[in-house]
Amino acid sequence: MITIPYVTALATYFSYGLLFVFGHIRDLFRKITGCFSSNNLQGYAPICLGNEDFYQRRLYQRIRDCFERPIASAPDAWFDLVERFSNDSNKTLERTTRIRRCLNLGSYSYLGFAAPDEYCTPRATDSLNKYSPSTCSSRVDGGTTVLHKELEKHVANFLGKQDAIVFGMGYVTNSAILPVLIGKGGLIISDSLNHCSIVNGARGSGATIRVFQHNTPSHLEEVLREQISEGQPRTHRPWKKIVVIVEGIYSMEGDFCKLPEIVAICKKYKAYTYLDEAHSIGAIGKTGRGVCELLGVDPADVDIMMGTFTKSFGSCGGYIAGSKELIQYLKYTCPAHLYATSMSPPAAEQIISAIKVILGEDGTSRGAQKLARVRENSNFFRSELQKMGFEVLGDNDSPVMPIMLYNPAKIPAFSRECLKRNVAVVVVSFPATPLLLARARICLSASHTKEELLKALEVISQVGDLLGIKYFGAEPKKHQQEEKMKKLE
Amino acid sequence: MYVKAVRPTDLNRNTEWFTYPGVWTTYILILFFSWLIVLSVLNCSSGLAWTIVHLSHFLVTYHFFHWKKGTPFADDQGIYNRLTWWEQIDSGKQLTRNRKYLIASHTTDYQHPMLFLNTLAVFVLVVAKFPHMHKVRIFGINADQ
Repeated sequence: MITIPYVTALATYFSYGLLFVFGHIRDLFRKITGCFSSNNLQGYAPICLGNEDFYQRRLYQRIRDCFERPIASAPDAWFDLVERFSNDSNKTLERTTRIRRCLNLGSYSYLGFAAPDEYCTPRATDSLNKYSPSTCSSRVDGGTTVLHKELEKHVANFLGKQDAIVFGMGYVTNSAILPVLIGKGGLIISDSLNHCSIVNGARGSGATIRVFQHNTPSHLEEVLREQISEGQPRTHRPWKKIVVIVEGIYSMEGDFCKLPEIVAICKKYKAYTYLDEAHSIGAIGKTGRGVCELLGVDPADVDIMMGTFTKSFGSCGGYIAGSKELIQYLKYTCPAHLYATSMSPPAAEQIISAIKVILGEDGTSRGAQKLARVRENSNFFRSELQKMGFEVLGDNDSPVMPIMLYNPAKIPAFSRECLKRNVAVVVVSFPATPLLLARARICLSASHTKEELLKALEVISQVGDLLGIKYFGAEPKKHQQEEKMKKLE
Repeated sequence: MYVKAVRPTDLNRNTEWFTYPGVWTTYILILFFSWLIVLSVLNCSSGLAWTIVHLSHFLVTYHFFHWKKGTPFADDQGIYNRLTWWEQIDSGKQLTRNRKYLIASHTTDYQHPMLFLNTLAVFVLVVAKFPHMHKVRIFGINADQ
């Protein structure tokens, strides 16, 4: 539930209306001048049909310099950002050779494994020498190394499931697994804010898709009851199977899913649960085992657990964990396993080392320290931002915190002003988020120290005052006032 | 004064914004302010200003709600390419609250002496919003290639 000041909502609609009007006027002129210049398509159809690229041309291009900024170093707590300039209002962006050292508040490196690590990096380099960067083969042919086998075993043990299967890319894990798990005649019920990879996989499966209100178990129950009683669309036969898909942490909101209630409802109506832990695995929970550990859900209750290694483990790829029969089935049907090149061996070694560090199997307590630090950092940062009067979304303990901006003009302003002060943030706008709810998303990491967080808070506070995004009043500094009173007395 | 925004379950990002709070008020305020601007620029009677606002409202809403098809971004892979914005709204359900509001906001302002033009505009727009006209293309106008 997001609370918006009413005047801000009106102003945001008006701003978008103005932007659309100007965009359409420009398009009108483009059409008029385009009539005179010759069209070199020679009978081929144009690539963009109708007005599909209107948003891209007229809104996104104005603020293109806030996205896709190239970096020239590893995404640690600080990184080198390459400066760019544009002479034709963002149609082309030229890179310069100047770099700017910025505080990194945008990478998903929750435990800090994205930077060279004393345990993981030597082992990854050794495996690079031993196994070479690519297996040059799919898993079925010649691409299964001992590292892949070991990785699958480690992932299964880490999550408390019977077996696991890993893929080279996280997005592909969702979009290639869903069509294999469910097909026409099945029902997929997915949270309204699920990630694009889940939406693509669900659409590709051919099953009927229904959406329930974000994180509302009562609405999920309502949708389930309605769908089970009606059956398949025209024939009204019973559904072949029902899968409910939720995520551990929603990356645009920073809130956890209400897993205990949702699992209870799925058990009641005999639907399968698919949990996508892309952001929560490794970063949440006392030992980093994800949202199941945090919310006290038995991993055996979740039928299919999916996750990615790109966030907390500092590598690439994704996994699916489940029962032995499920993984066996996936191994001979999933096209990502049969035809796609297997994960790069040094990447697999990085994940194995990262899991060992998290569990403390490397002989140190660095893993536990990292987990504690990311939790402390997130809670401290979130509470400080809320005290300053920003509207911050997300639950406590979640390292993802979106700061609401709303107005479209504040999106590039926030990004550029923070960059001037050497803080790099990620801003998100329509259509990745709803029209009204544009935000700046901060991702904290265990490698951020307290001083860096304080610097970031100072910069964000300055920029927030400049832009007027402190929608809730800042809390009065009661302690200072009390001290002043005491001194006077 | 704060309002709460409840996320709708509409997957179509093109129409989903219409269900958030403040949209109806913004619509009315835009009409009111354009009336004030027309009145101050042209220095005419208020009835004539309303007629001008009404007719330009007709042109704008007809073009955007009932003529333009599809969505302004390519993410949804063109599944709405055959539907105008009016047909997309509320996932095709007829006579929802939003649709009734938009129908009602036509039939309230028409004045002399341009009664004929105004009535014609209202008639065209209200007929375009009928449930029976869902996906109907008269004489193939605005149908796909």
